[in-house]
Amino acid sequence: MAEISSTRTAFVEALTELIEKDDKVVMVSADSVAVFRATGLQKQYPGRIVECGIAEGSAVMISAGLASAGMKPFVCAYAGFLTMRAVEQMRTFVAYPHLNVKFFGANAGMCSGEREGVTHQFFEDVGIMRAVPGFTVLAPYDAEDTKAMVYKAYETDGPVYCRIGSGRDPVVGGGFVKREYGSDALIIGCGAPLADAMEAADVLKDEGINATVLGVNVIKPLDEDALLPYIEKAKKVITIEDHNIYGGLGSAVCEIAGRKVTRLGLQDVYPESGTAQELKVKYHIAAEDVIKAVKA
Amino acid sequence: MNCQELARMGNQLRRDIIEMIYRSKDGHPAPSLSCADIVACLYFGVMNVDPKDPHWEDRDRFVLSKGHACPALYAALGQKGYFSRDLYPALRHIDSILQGHPDMKKTPGVDMTSGSLGNGLAAATGMALAAKLQGKSYKTYVLTGDGELGEGINWEAAQTAAKYKLDNLTLIVDNNGMQSGGSVENVGGVINIPGKFAAFGFEVKEIDGHDVKQIMDALTSLHPGKPLCVVAHTVKGKGVSYMEHNNAWHKGTPNDEQYRTAVNELEAMING
Repeated sequence: MAEISSTRTAFVEALTELIEKDDKVVMVSADSVAVFRATGLQKQYPGRIVECGIAEGSAVMISAGLASAGMKPFVCAYAGFLTMRAVEQMRTFVAYPHLNVKFFGANAGMCSGEREGVTHQFFEDVGIMRAVPGFTVLAPYDAEDTKAMVYKAYETDGPVYCRIGSGRDPVVGGGFVKREYGSDALIIGCGAPLADAMEAADVLKDEGINATVLGVNVIKPLDEDALLPYIEKAKKVITIEDHNIYGGLGSAVCEIAGRKVTRLGLQDVYPESGTAQELKVKYHIAAEDVIKAVKA
Repeated sequence: MNCQELARMGNQLRRDIIEMIYRSKDGHPAPSLSCADIVACLYFGVMNVDPKDPHWEDRDRFVLSKGHACPALYAALGQKGYFSRDLYPALRHIDSILQGHPDMKKTPGVDMTSGSLGNGLAAATGMALAAKLQGKSYKTYVLTGDGELGEGINWEAAQTAAKYKLDNLTLIVDNNGMQSGGSVENVGGVINIPGKFAAFGFEVKEIDGHDVKQIMDALTSLHPGKPLCVVAHTVKGKGVSYMEHNNAWHKGTPNDEQYRTAVNELEAMING
């Protein structure tokens, strides 16, 4: 069993550092102060927490307003209440106008919800946020990596969604290559399940099966250049994540691995007003685009 | 501007709304006409803005929560000089800065993207809170429809605005009594708007939303320690005889004859 640490505590440590160095940074809470282990932060800097109560949609809109006037809000809420209840606000009022709002979703994954059950087990957040144009989607390996991801979110221009865990999260360790025993199998994972993937690779090695384990902490945009050489070399590819198989890391890997497939559709952009005919031509889902794709 | 000039500007915005929708052949005339006097008072009597510097950080902010009424906002921005009025016919057309609903990245002077109903009050709450957090003195104004008060997020935001004592925030409700599908009372059951906002901790004023003196008095009144809600009683389609109280004009384009009638009526009021 891997050692345990807390992605939530790590988040607050890094956010406190940002609050101390940049007077535009605020935490926006949907009654999330206790959940995010931020009671100390609240005592120390009460003016830097905007408390909206149990109202995720409004918290996201208030953050859009704050960001439009130069603030840098970090919205904290349970991953599912945020990405399912308030996804429209995240899409239309933050990502479409490209406002500088950062979202941290706790209890991401079945294991984070644990005994709370399905209402508090959130395994659709990555799929939902990956489908929204303009979002960067992060999934830290563990607590230590969460700190790095808070800084990455801060330094990224525009909307960022980052999933974190329960506060009882396995230590995975840093680095993209977690194990490199050989190309019998390639295991690509994100978050806490990487600890199991690494354990499995060690067991397999003893049995003479040499696998490689890669960790992905930026799910969108996916670093294709780093992943593709490993994918091409491997005899088989396995992905593992605490998320639905539809829409998450596994889907993202299939999207780059399936090279025979050309995906015509909206290329992760926001369109505009126009007639249907004008729009399909400008955004490349017209007959001529099919012809071009077939001939390419 | 004095009250007479503001009233004339309200009708000039109406003239521009009709021109825009007639030329572009698409848009929502009646909801735009009902808020024309309020928008005229905001941009020509109340708000401190600079068309040459649309991103000036100390400017007053305006959020048009009922984004489908954007022809009224575009008319005010055009009259104010944010962009050329020659762009009006491109409303809702491909490659245009005048989108079907307001886009803060494409249109100079638009402070918040809108069009998904119910969200404007919460965005404006964030803007007003940002002024408090940064020690700035700018004011934030948000105009909602009455039908969109059916969206629960309004009441989430109202709680937060009152909790933070946002006396730099003014909500104006364009209370024309109609929504897309009929009367606000029958379709959504939105009733007692003044009582609801008073209960949520707002200072509340009720006015005739076509009387510029009443609009100006309400918008310039002080409300220390509380956000202000101005419930403006208006007529949907106001200023064009055949559109008034006629919900068929929620969305639609006047034909040539209807266009000439509207222009004649509005120009008579502008020149009268």
